[in-house]
Amino acid sequence: MTADISVRNLVKHYLVPVREGGLRASIKGVFKRRHRRVRAVDGISFEVARGEIVGFLGPNGAGKTTALKVLSGLLYPTDGEVAVLGHTPWQRKRDFLSRMTLIMGQRQQLFWDLPGIDTFLVNKAVFGLDEPTYEASFNLLSEMLELGDLLYKPVRQLSLGERMKSELAAGLLHSPSVLFLDEPTLGLDVTMQQRIRQFIKDYNAATGATILLTSHYMADVKALAERVIVIDQGLVLYDGLLQGLVESYAPHKTITLQFEQPVEIKDLERYGEVERIDELQFRIKTAKDAAPGATARLLADLPVADLSVEDPALEDVIDQVFRTAAE
Amino acid sequence: MRHILVGFAAFTRSELANLFQYRVMMFLYALWDVVNPIIYLIVWSLVAGERQISGFSRDDFIMYYLVFMVVSHLALAIEVYTFGPLIERGQLSPRLLRPIHPWWHAAAVNISYKVVNLIMLIPVWIGLFLVLRPAFPGDWITVALFLPALAAAIVLSFFIGSLFAMLAFWTTRSFSFWQIWTSLLFLMGGQVAPVAVLPGFVRDVAVALPARYALGFPVEVILGQLDAGELVMGFAMQAGWIALAALAFAFVWRSGIKRYSAVGA
Repeated sequence: MTADISVRNLVKHYLVPVREGGLRASIKGVFKRRHRRVRAVDGISFEVARGEIVGFLGPNGAGKTTALKVLSGLLYPTDGEVAVLGHTPWQRKRDFLSRMTLIMGQRQQLFWDLPGIDTFLVNKAVFGLDEPTYEASFNLLSEMLELGDLLYKPVRQLSLGERMKSELAAGLLHSPSVLFLDEPTLGLDVTMQQRIRQFIKDYNAATGATILLTSHYMADVKALAERVIVIDQGLVLYDGLLQGLVESYAPHKTITLQFEQPVEIKDLERYGEVERIDELQFRIKTAKDAAPGATARLLADLPVADLSVEDPALEDVIDQVFRTAAE
Repeated sequence: MRHILVGFAAFTRSELANLFQYRVMMFLYALWDVVNPIIYLIVWSLVAGERQISGFSRDDFIMYYLVFMVVSHLALAIEVYTFGPLIERGQLSPRLLRPIHPWWHAAAVNISYKVVNLIMLIPVWIGLFLVLRPAFPGDWITVALFLPALAAAIVLSFFIGSLFAMLAFWTTRSFSFWQIWTSLLFLMGGQVAPVAVLPGFVRDVAVALPARYALGFPVEVILGQLDAGELVMGFAMQAGWIALAALAFAFVWRSGIKRYSAVGA
């Protein structure tokens, strides 16, 4: 399959000024500045095939946003090779910029004091969209995002969710083939998060666009990405299927039990690590292979009222990845 | 090229619409554009009285500052206030993602600001002209020469303002450097006094520096104060400074954008 995004040993370091607190340090700083090198991205490599949706995960400061900014041509890298749609992003060629978009949850391209439609008209002009193309794209986005009359109100009067929908539409008006989405659901309520998620899914299905997405909400990742790239401290810790991540880093299942009457905790400890929720409810963390046998024996030996077997929460799995890397 | 023109026109329309949202602020800015030259106009016409200073009569000073009022408004560089902060706050990012150079948007902001401000300036200017009724010493030739001189001053001023704005790629205190340029404009650009009135050595320096060509030169042209040799020299200096500023602009943009860190954006 063709790779729309190809990254080889990408490095981005920043020099940031540092000084201690206090007047003495301030005076010293006048004569001699000290800097610290921040290794935001420290040699990452990956490829994303055409039409794929990939989740880019990592804690705050892991280097996700920096990587997206390099990939979308905002930043020059310190080292490494990047090709997006066959272009070197930071050369910012017209063909490249016309075929990709970067949408950031907290960033706005919309004119603050004007209705969103004004930004749309500017984008129509600068992206060189003819009337039929603009109309078709506008109608599609309006319908998918249920924009209604949102675009005719000054942007400053819109709610966060309404603004995010308008931002998404403005960023997609030129029907880009590659989307970099940085926290597209940040700060939105659950309903709006779901709507944006569904939209991204539908957009991918309708256009075959390649999507690289960062999000702190694991629900976004679970709903959208089959494949994830986990990075921390500028390095790739995992690149593969989301399911594989769960299997590799969480080789256990969680059995949640509700009993009809109180049981002894020692009767449960042979099945795995036990956590008491209340007098009648327990959670047992057991090895994945042992889970079916343990479930059968628990049902046979103890007065079980209810039982469920689950994979651990994705947040816990990711946390496990970071802890394993730190060790 | 077509996409640049279409994009530039779209930016200008939006920025005009944007500025009309801030009518009071624009009115105050326009007021300042008027007040400042009026102060010099009053001072110099009082000093001149019935005599002449370096060939300038009372009427010449009045006419000089009336024209200066319009020129200083049109050749005002605002990029340190409009573009510099975008770099500092990382807000340049959305503009870098559009397939048109961000400076076209900056130029549209510049032109829109001046158009809106001019709408407020014109009635005040006409009022002042009718009250003061100075004699116009120029003719249709000086008026014809004034237009390219003004256009060149606007372009030069935009490039120089942009250079100072782009210092924001390196420092968060680009305003401090901007003060150097505004002081130069004040002293040697024809603001505090027409360049012809400056004392010998200072005048020689002013004639060599770019400040005069970004501000006072078109006023001197329209008032017919320059002989043929001075006119040729003046236009050549304008062209030279524009070429130099454009080269510096391209170089600084190329180096600066590599340092852009898109902080917080």
